[in-house]
Order: sequence, then structure tokens, then C-alpha cells
Amino acid sequence: MDTSNPAAFVNAQLLSNFIGKKVRTVVQVNQSHGGVTTAKSTDNQQLTVTGLPPVPLMNFVEVIGIAENNNSINAEIWTDFGNTFDTNSYNQLCLLANGEFKGLFL
Amino acid sequence: MYSTSQFDGNAAFSGGGFMPSQATQSTDSSSFPSRNRDAQSLLPLTVKQINDAFLSSDDKTNLIIDGVDVNNVTLVGRVCNKAGRITDVTFVLDDGTGRIECNKWLQEAVDSNEVDGILDGMYVRLHGHLKGFQGKRSLNVFSFRPVTDFNEIASHFIDCVYVHLYNSKIRLQAGVPNQQHVTNSTPITPTKGYQAYAVPPNPFSGQPKNAPKSVEDMVLDILHLPTNRSRDEGVPRDLIAQHLGIPMDKLMLAIKNLIEEGNIYEAIADHYKSIING
Repeated sequence: MDTSNPAAFVNAQLLSNFIGKKVRTVVQVNQSHGGVTTAKSTDNQQLTVTGLPPVPLMNFVEVIGIAENNNSINAEIWTDFGNTFDTNSYNQLCLLANGEFKGLFL
Repeated sequence: MYSTSQFDGNAAFSGGGFMPSQATQSTDSSSFPSRNRDAQSLLPLTVKQINDAFLSSDDKTNLIIDGVDVNNVTLVGRVCNKAGRITDVTFVLDDGTGRIECNKWLQEAVDSNEVDGILDGMYVRLHGHLKGFQGKRSLNVFSFRPVTDFNEIASHFIDCVYVHLYNSKIRLQAGVPNQQHVTNSTPITPTKGYQAYAVPPNPFSGQPKNAPKSVEDMVLDILHLPTNRSRDEGVPRDLIAQHLGIPMDKLMLAIKNLIEEGNIYEAIADHYKSIING
């Protein structure tokens, strides 16, 4: 069992707390070329993700990677979450997991 | 290879078998009867919670999280380092908060088919039994299924938050009077474990309480009066209604609730008795 390298649940707003650290988030892919993807976060902001998502445009995709700055993530793992996803619940979970219940996650 | 799987077999029987875990469970449930059902519950957890509880507890055989014995758990995460053998499959589950070693024994062909469909990197929901062996904690998996609706991931973690909140705050608040009550009624009721929640505290006392009594409580009080306890045929409902001065429909609702909870029964038509009348 090892909890030394967790991936924090984040939305765009929380990303700045984890620069240089591992994060996980779900985004909706808007456009992608040249290894740079722009996507919409669960709190409706624009994020830049480095790496090519293996999913069609407008699909939701989970990104696990390193937070580079306030609005960009260097992706290591992409997981296709399909074309329907409850972004509001996920966003609420991000807030809970970084707020009162942080002890359960990080 | 053969010796490795034999070694794992020993681990499964000594850690997950019924000797040690049942022994600890039964001593525990005798001191806290109201926890009976909690002890068998299925807890949604994060790996972080398991790791924290493991590090903070001295007792390496029995794990307690938020005051509840941990036996069966459910987790959601990504499968990594899956290694299949003929008799079992091992993998690491990464739920984002941490990683835990898992093991599933393959007993039937259907198990093997289930396992073959699961590849590294896939999200799975798994149910299993947490066991410790030689200072290491691993998860003995009963079932693992691929996650097909990815909202299940958020849902699982929200569930973890809810259960943590329930066990650490709500259950404890409710637990204090329960345990007092259990000691009070021990000589009277042989099946105290089941009644811990159903029977109101101090059923025989006529002391005024701060909170207004429910109709159910008042009906029980009447049935517990010494004169009524001695009636073999039970207490006629008209008499109860007359005592309480409430309409019959309200009374019948309370009686229905009490019967459903197993507190009272209908001795003969329209006559009711409490189960603790003896």
C-alpha cells in the first residue's frame, strides 16, 4: 500500500494549488493540434493540456498528469469518459476533496 | 511458481479465514451489541483512509475506521500491474488517493472470464475483504467489474465522504444513548442486539423527558403498565385509545409501525401485547 503519490481531484480554480504536483481532472475536449489540447474544465474555464487525447472532440476525458501552471496540465494518462458526463457532481467532488474532507483524499 | 501460490493460499486462510476475524468480531459485538450490523457492513473507502487507519492502529489484525470495524470494502480505481496466473490474479488498484495490492482467487471458469476482460488502465469497481498478513495489508477481491458509467467514480468518492461523515458524526451521536439503553434492558430482553434501535430508552420509566413522546412511545408505556402486562389476551385497542385520548386512525398508525418494528404483536383480534411482556 502506498499513498505517497496521490493525484488530487481538481477543477481549473483549484489547479493553482498543485503546481508541480500530480492532479486528476475531467475536461471536455474543444480542440487539439500539435500535441496541445484546449478543453473546458468542470467549472467552465479553459484549460490547456499537453498531449494528444485519444478521444473525439467534445468528448469528456479524464486527465491525470502534472499541473504546470494555473491553466495547464502535462498529461500522463487519458481516459475517455464518453460524451455524457455529470460535470456538476464532479466539480462538487473537487471542492469537497480539497475542503472539509481533504483528509480522505490527500 | 507453485510454491508462490501455495504461500498465498496460507495467507488467505490465516488472514481472511474465519478463525481470527470471527474471534475478534464476536468479542467486539458482545461489548457493543448495537454495532452488530455495522460490523458486517460494506464500507466505501479510499486507499488513503485504509492506509491512515493502518498506520495509526497498533492492532494489525483488526482495522477500525471512524469507529467501525472494517471487513468488507468497496473501492473504485484504475487497475495497474495486473498479473494473471492459473489459480489467481494479482493487481494494484490506484484510486488516485493511493495504491493497494489486490488479489483474486479464480475458482471457476466464470471468474477467469471476468478477469480476462479487465486490462491495465481500466477503471473498476471492486468488492473485497481487507486482510493483513505479515505487516502488509492487501485486498482479497470477491468481484471486480469494469466501470461503464464514469459518473460512478465521482459517485463512489461522494459515497466515501457521506459514510465517513455518517460514521464519525451522526452514528456517534445516536450511539451514546443506545449503548446506555442496552445496558439498562439487558436483564429483560434476550435479543438486545436487534432491539437496540427499535425500543425507546427506559421503556418502564414514567420519568418526564425533555422531548415530547411519540404516539408509539405512549402506546408502549400503556402496554407496559403492570395491570396490562398481566393480560394474556393483550390490551384492547379501544382501551389504549381511551387512555391516550387520541383518534383511532392515529393510534392504528402507531400500532402498525410498532408491529412492523417488531415491538408489539396482535394477541387476539384488536388486542395488542408488547414483546417484552415476557
